[in-house]
Amino acid sequence: MSDRNNNTFISRRENAWRRNQNTTKFEHSTKLGPVSHTVLVAMMVAVLGLIYLTQVTKTSSYGYAIETLNTRKDELGAKKSELQVESARLKSLQKIQSSEVAANLTQPASTDYIR
Amino acid sequence: MKLNINLTQYRKSEILAAITIGFVAIIVLNLFYIQIVRHDYYKQQAYDEQVAKFILPAKRGEIYARDGTDVIPLVLNEPVYIAYADPQQVKDKEELIDTMNSIAGGNMIKDYKTGLDNKKLRYVVLARGLKYDQAELLKKKNIPGIGLTASDRRVYPEGSLAAQLLGYVNDEGKGQYGAEEALNERLKGVNGKLQAVTDVRRIPLTVSERDISIPAQDGDNLVLSVDRNIQSYAEKALKQGLDKVKATKGSVVIMDPNTGRIMAMANYPTYDPAKYNEVEDYGIFQNGIVSDPYEAGSVIKTLSMGAGLDSGAVNVNTTFNNRGYVQVDDRKISNVEEDPINANATMTDVLHYSLNTGVVYILQQMGGGKVNLQARNKFYDYFHNHYRFGEKTGVEQAGESKGIIIPPTDEQGNNVRYANMAFGQGMDVTMMQVAAAFSSTINGGTFYKPTIITGTTNDGDKVKAQAPKIVKKNVLKANTSKDLRDMIVKGRQLGALGGKDRPGFVVGGKTGTSQIIDPKTGEYTDANSIGSYLGFGGNQTPQYVIMVQVKDSKAAGYAGTTAAGPIFGDISNWLIDYLKITPN
Repeated sequence: MSDRNNNTFISRRENAWRRNQNTTKFEHSTKLGPVSHTVLVAMMVAVLGLIYLTQVTKTSSYGYAIETLNTRKDELGAKKSELQVESARLKSLQKIQSSEVAANLTQPASTDYIR
Repeated sequence: MKLNINLTQYRKSEILAAITIGFVAIIVLNLFYIQIVRHDYYKQQAYDEQVAKFILPAKRGEIYARDGTDVIPLVLNEPVYIAYADPQQVKDKEELIDTMNSIAGGNMIKDYKTGLDNKKLRYVVLARGLKYDQAELLKKKNIPGIGLTASDRRVYPEGSLAAQLLGYVNDEGKGQYGAEEALNERLKGVNGKLQAVTDVRRIPLTVSERDISIPAQDGDNLVLSVDRNIQSYAEKALKQGLDKVKATKGSVVIMDPNTGRIMAMANYPTYDPAKYNEVEDYGIFQNGIVSDPYEAGSVIKTLSMGAGLDSGAVNVNTTFNNRGYVQVDDRKISNVEEDPINANATMTDVLHYSLNTGVVYILQQMGGGKVNLQARNKFYDYFHNHYRFGEKTGVEQAGESKGIIIPPTDEQGNNVRYANMAFGQGMDVTMMQVAAAFSSTINGGTFYKPTIITGTTNDGDKVKAQAPKIVKKNVLKANTSKDLRDMIVKGRQLGALGGKDRPGFVVGGKTGTSQIIDPKTGEYTDANSIGSYLGFGGNQTPQYVIMVQVKDSKAAGYAGTTAAGPIFGDISNWLIDYLKITPN
């Protein structure tokens, strides 16, 4: 029994906890002291902090992306409105009436109706 | 008790450690106090400093008109920019002036240089009405001290077309006169709101749970029932008609009697809504068709005849002894001199010759043979409750007047007044009221609410139609309406004006020349009159109603016949073609 405890390798089958079978527990030869624990905890806190900062910065960057898109949308909207106005002016009655096509139109002499 | 500490028993490093721990403890405690105990307080303070509130401006709704079955824009929005300078930030004034002149040119404000020299000022407008491209050029120049403010401007691609009907939008973005004022709530929309934490450049950041973002609700894009071709022709015909008789003012309203939809509203003189600030006579802004009640004169005889026929006081075969005058209490009411005296004048003669005695006869018959309270009550019932005189029509125009009609129970609502009212004097009505009432008498008896709106649109293409609104049915009985229609047609055909109508179509109408009370004498005078013409046209079914008003005509004869009548005929004949009405 004591020989088994000193083994460095224990098969998975043997390591399994089963009824009526002996169990073994692996133990490291090295142990962490309080300073190591503190350093580890500090590192974990630092990593978590970095993750938090990354997320916050990422969220903030959406604000800039939205702002950029909004500015672009406003610019395109402004351009569209100007083009609509220009289009409407070109299609206005005054333009049509003063066009060459309108100048060449003639009044019908008479109108017939097909019943 | 005396605290006796002997520091010599500790090593220096231990003392230093104790002091450090003490400082750290103080800091930690202070941090605990600030971050835990006063957490909410400081959080709120930070938020208040970082957060900014933005108004998201709603886009004002655009206004469209019809062009046959198409929809065309009458009023659009155009983004424009104001360029301003902060004199304290300007480094090179000459460079600024040169750049502004090269980009803004004609948009520059006259006295901007004076403002630039005043270093106490922080906001000096340099140019207004800059277009998008100009604003972009200016941005690229990146001149210190120059800023841009964006806003929307109303644009009228059709120029002054339907100016009074449309109204305008003032510098504060508020609709003034016409549809812009009457429909301001629908057009202006609702501004949105954005509340968010921002960076130093005031750019909103999406980091707070307390951000508020309510999008703006743009105003409705309205599609008017006005057809731009009809509107344009009405304005042209009105101007030409006024010029012929050297008149100074006039109006035309054209409506569909079967829906109440307005096809055109023309007024002269008019103005350009894009240059409303150059107008000196503010009266021009008013749409007189809805805001100026007047004594409409003999055109009202058509309505009196309708009331007489519908109440059973007279019928189409009724005749009366026309002696050229009729006595009502202490007043003698006469026809015009040239009207024939006929012992067997017919009801059609009443409309054809415009016999004052004829409509007073109808009023007498309503009272059982004389003008009395019973007659006045019946007449008032038709004119107020059926024709809705004395009430606003509800057409979507600012400044609508309800006119004046004196009730028979009023001290002034006496027999003489009612006899005058029968031929359109002694009561004030707007053209809109008369046209709407007349439509109801010739369309079979249904009073539609006059409207300039046919629906709304999102993109200027598809129209979400708005159904016509019936205000009252059985204004007149259906057979009465038909009889009246026939009489009005015959009345026009027998006159000179009817001879110019397109053959094969049903056109009827009635002239009216209203005397105006001379302010000096308080009596009616012929020296200054208002000519009116009220009529309809179509085939078996009336397709349009036109009312014309001409003020200050210098032509000889009665203004209703010589000034207003020809304008009606011109528009009527053109409409028959434009609406593609088939003859009977």
